[in-house]
Amino acid sequence: MRQETVITGMGLVLPCGTGLEAAGASWETGTPCFAPLPENLGTGLGAACTAFSASGIIPPMQSRRLDRPSRFAWVAAGQAFQDAGVDPARLGLRLGVAVGTMTGGNEPTEAFLRPYLAKGPEGASPMLFANCVAVAISGYLSTAFGIRGPSVTQLAREASALAALEQARRWLDMRLLEAVLVVGVDGLFPVLSELLHRTRLSVREGLPVVGSRRGLLPGEGAQAFLLETRDHAEARGARIRASLRGVAALSPATPEPSERSRVLAETAACLTPSVPDAWIGGSSGHRILDEVEAPLLSLFERWPRPRYPKTLWGEFCGSGGQLLAAALLDPGRRVLVTAPASFGCQYAAVLEKP
Amino acid sequence: MRRVVVTGLGMVTSLGLDTETTWRRMRAGDCGIGPLRSLSLPAEPVQIAAQVDLPADAPGGRRSNKCDRMALLALEDALAQSGPDLDSGDPRRRGVFQGAGTSGLPTGEAYLLDRMAGKRGRAADPVFQNSCGVTDVLGLRLGAMGPRSTIMNACSSSLMAIGQAWEQVAHGDLDLAVAGGAEALCRMTFAGFSCLKAMDPAPCRPFSRDRAGLNLGEGAVHLVLEPLNLAKARGAGILAEVLGYGASMDAHHPTAPHPEGDGAARAIQMALRVSGLFAEEVDLVSAHATATPANDGSETLAIRRALGDAAKRVSVTASKSQFGHTLGAAGAVGAATAVLCLRDQVVSPTLRLEDPDPLCDLDCTPLAARERRLGVALVNAFAFGGNNVCLALRRWEGR
Repeated sequence: MRQETVITGMGLVLPCGTGLEAAGASWETGTPCFAPLPENLGTGLGAACTAFSASGIIPPMQSRRLDRPSRFAWVAAGQAFQDAGVDPARLGLRLGVAVGTMTGGNEPTEAFLRPYLAKGPEGASPMLFANCVAVAISGYLSTAFGIRGPSVTQLAREASALAALEQARRWLDMRLLEAVLVVGVDGLFPVLSELLHRTRLSVREGLPVVGSRRGLLPGEGAQAFLLETRDHAEARGARIRASLRGVAALSPATPEPSERSRVLAETAACLTPSVPDAWIGGSSGHRILDEVEAPLLSLFERWPRPRYPKTLWGEFCGSGGQLLAAALLDPGRRVLVTAPASFGCQYAAVLEKP
Repeated sequence: MRRVVVTGLGMVTSLGLDTETTWRRMRAGDCGIGPLRSLSLPAEPVQIAAQVDLPADAPGGRRSNKCDRMALLALEDALAQSGPDLDSGDPRRRGVFQGAGTSGLPTGEAYLLDRMAGKRGRAADPVFQNSCGVTDVLGLRLGAMGPRSTIMNACSSSLMAIGQAWEQVAHGDLDLAVAGGAEALCRMTFAGFSCLKAMDPAPCRPFSRDRAGLNLGEGAVHLVLEPLNLAKARGAGILAEVLGYGASMDAHHPTAPHPEGDGAARAIQMALRVSGLFAEEVDLVSAHATATPANDGSETLAIRRALGDAAKRVSVTASKSQFGHTLGAAGAVGAATAVLCLRDQVVSPTLRLEDPDPLCDLDCTPLAARERRLGVALVNAFAFGGNNVCLALRRWEGR
């Protein structure tokens, strides 16, 4: 018999600010966070966490060793544990971590490679190399919070955080763990904006608008969610933010966008026998995702029209974590999340609030 | 829970482009580590690696990278052995679980090199050839519409991938899963391990007193996993049974293992618990054994902590002495080694173990393969960030 999985804590680092209050205000007003990127993060427009500070949260000596995504994840995770009223060190072995990221490890990889390719071995930095793998993020979380259970870092393009969510649910379902920290996390770095611009994925002028085919804009941040079985959460008297009614994925049998759209529709339909109160969509303004999700609008005419967090906070930005955050911030009680990906697995999830 | 068995195994390694060639050479004590050919890094002090020479007609299109091509070749090898009927059954109940290390990174390196040389570079390559690409290539070949999981746990990625596949098949969510990993050499890992002073300029010597670090390697290994009842129903040959896995985090250090092997021991204990095994049932450990001074000592302690007195009677084998460290594929290489050892009741050797470290005082199968009765095997894979995974396998004895 499947265990019911609930979300009892949330922590958010978003371009609109750090914490639930800033995110809630941003979601309510629907104000996009895009601005010219600082030189160290890229060129053109993007949604950077420019006001982010880990001061007073991450010890300075450790903070220097961390890349930006790891700092984001650390701060968001701390908020999630606090929000859930959980001391992670006490859970120890019974607490796992599942990270979803599309760009994790890439910023340090660029920073490591540039001097190495220019100068050879004398340009290589051992400190940077440790962060060049995406798994470094979970390692820092483990050390910071005393997490000693299993860990996985999932890459599923724009839906990576939902892949992490799916694995977390499975661990809880198997009763291997009592709680799992799910983190969606991404950071901006110079070559990313260059590549997006050169491949015409990013908007040339103006802001991203779903259905416009103008393109996407990148963002960064981390979103952390503490998942528990309902039994465990209720036994400790935890406030339940939402129940995870389902998370599912299907993959296209062929590379065509229409096939991705078909499997996304099938995934969403199997999770949503009744009409949801709200729908959080993963379209970004670029046709590569918009064309996957758009056919669902006519297929499911009775569903409420979706809102698109990526047009506020950017693509990546947590690789689906920002969609889950929006679902929890939205006033709708039963919320469908669809997370189209530019290829591969297409994810959907349903969250239901008490 | 359904019982899960391995019905196919594909190996593309520095010792051979298929499983049986690789295994024959493993048993013979051959070493795949040789002069570095696939990268030109003349300033690096280490000039050896375990490399794969792919034939021109290896599967994959003109634009495919080496990782994709090795993975596809390993998949064909595994499918040829397993023989599933991919034209029937529900494709939603087929999945791919792929451990990735740096797959796709060589294209990113090429782009950066071009840009730094003032050239235009092919911007589309690093955007679209990311680590998910290998998983998708395999998924399309299988016609799989179920999960395509790409795991980025660094050196424990592919063992975690096999663990995930086991979970989903055992729970009845999938009827066929392909799990494993693929890794091609690239500048970043070579330079990175070199600057950490973790590489040995000579062929590595796991568990030796004078071990001085790892050698890098490349390759691809994939396993076909199915529920026992369906494998039997279609008359598939069964290589081994997957019993379960355990995983843990050290909560200790970004790159170094816990000195007492604490996290690794917990992963092993979890694997035993999930698999319903007693320590006394374990006959073989396919070790992570990177040949770095820190790893092999702490892994020995971890095995001792987890198995207690039963550790005295296990055989340990270090496949990295033959294949180097294949990073994202390393866990799958270790698993394949264990499957073949179980099948043929022989332990593959730990090469160059002429002077064992007294701190690594287990039976590490020095120098030559050895026949012995093997019923249960554990496979270890550990990674940066203190990520530990252990997989449990049982010999298939027909019931």
